[in-house]
Amino acid sequence: MKQILLVTDGCSNVGVSPVVASAHAYAEGITVNVVGVVDRGEVGDFGATEIEEIARAGGGMSRLVNTKQLSQTVQMMTRKTVVQTIQQAVQKELRQVFGQTSIESLPPEKRGEVVRVIDELGETSKLRVALLIDASASMKPKLSAVEEAIRDLMLSLQARQGASELSVFHFPGSSYGDDCTLDLDWTNNLSGVQAIFPKLQMRGTTPTGPAIMQVIDFYRQGDYGRKSRDETDGMMSDYVV
Amino acid sequence: MTTSFKFSLNRGSVATGKWKGKQYRVERLLGEGANGKVFLVERHKAWYALKVGADAVDLQSEINVLQSLDLQKRSKRPETEPFLVDVDDLVMPDGREYPFYVMRYVRGVTLAEFLAKEGSEWFPLVGYNLLRMLSDLHDAGWAFGDLKVENILVAEYGRVELVDYGGLTGFGKSVRQFTEIYDRGYWNAGSRTADAGYDLFSFALLCIQLHDSKHLQLLTRQLLPQNRSPEELLKLIQQQPTLRPFTGWLNQAMTGGFANAREAAASWQRLVSRSDTLKSGQAVPAWLKWMFMLSAGAAASAVLYLWIEW
Repeated sequence: MKQILLVTDGCSNVGVSPVVASAHAYAEGITVNVVGVVDRGEVGDFGATEIEEIARAGGGMSRLVNTKQLSQTVQMMTRKTVVQTIQQAVQKELRQVFGQTSIESLPPEKRGEVVRVIDELGETSKLRVALLIDASASMKPKLSAVEEAIRDLMLSLQARQGASELSVFHFPGSSYGDDCTLDLDWTNNLSGVQAIFPKLQMRGTTPTGPAIMQVIDFYRQGDYGRKSRDETDGMMSDYVV
Repeated sequence: MTTSFKFSLNRGSVATGKWKGKQYRVERLLGEGANGKVFLVERHKAWYALKVGADAVDLQSEINVLQSLDLQKRSKRPETEPFLVDVDDLVMPDGREYPFYVMRYVRGVTLAEFLAKEGSEWFPLVGYNLLRMLSDLHDAGWAFGDLKVENILVAEYGRVELVDYGGLTGFGKSVRQFTEIYDRGYWNAGSRTADAGYDLFSFALLCIQLHDSKHLQLLTRQLLPQNRSPEELLKLIQQQPTLRPFTGWLNQAMTGGFANAREAAASWQRLVSRSDTLKSGQAVPAWLKWMFMLSAGAAASAVLYLWIEW
């Protein structure tokens, strides 16, 4: 399972629309979740709508929270998305096999069996979460909370039975012309990492859309690089009857 | 991220199961969990608790856990009454359907209320009962997960019941639901994988929360995330006279020093009955023992205070 988790506090202002980019991600089997960090309600109506739209286009969920709730929100979102991704796959299978429209419409005993499979897969399937962090000037005071949330998420991922990794990007990129910069490649351990965001040069633009596109590309490269594609996303077709 | 779940049942209304047709008369709302609402209901002159879920898969997952727990219990002791009584769906007048399950109704008050009303001398006994309850769960291969003040009900004479099984997790899996301040991972004291130590850590935090919630809250605000640790908690414990007698035990619970909850319960029992040696005679009622223990503890801490002052 692949997820992108976007943490932002406002509107994108350059390049391709983030909603379009997010729809691209979804088309490639990557779910996009969005957390809007709003400490003093500065996100505005337009920003809030954009955040919601990006998540909807990416098949994920969105939340507006303050920095205190960040860790818990990120952890819960990731977990819920895992369950939902599997649920959707199971739902599809159910429709094909039984002509049933939903898990809800099954009688309680059957539902119990299906949910047992969902829970088992949710715990054991391979999971990758790419965190995409808005590092525009207004986010600066929030970055320590973001770093804490990332470490907290790592802890939850480590507790899963299935292989779990995360990677971290921030945008705009550090060098001119870069839409986003990779801070941390796929890892399952942060204990040796001193600081995820070393001194960042805060720049004015917010290229959310182009940054999402770059992360999709990063996922793609990873898939080409690794031979055994089956291990990365073949779990549902293998498992679910 | 508790998403509010807009659902209500009026007092006196009758909830009927879609699949099995059992009927329950609604008395009142008992409480709200992380993923649903619990109502007090009546059927054939017996009281039950009925939980309505916001999400069918989420609730079913909880039901599955409760079912396997019941199965395990009854395979050992067939005469035990099941905890889970009924599972069904509710059809509302507007046509919307909600999943629900019915469980045994536990009459009791929250732990904090109980201690405030009955006195803190009940604390050692309630703690012991709770540890024994956790041992039973652990023996069956489950961690409770979301152990906290709100999830413990106490009935008369300090009898304990756990409520909200949403965090119940098989050993070795990632804890399904937890609360930050009670979480072993949050305090940099270990993983979020379900095991006996996870619950014992939460139990230790529960003790701190009960005796000194103010300073615990303060500590979470003052410490940088990387500096949260059992050592910091230990400092807090030592500053609190009512907790100080438990320092060694709490330290062990927070650092994974107990092999299992049974060992932890035995050690707790030894600790709280130590006052037995202070007085003679066997015919002393149990509650008096706790009183002795507490006053002895207070005296000991007073001595320690003086010593520190010097």
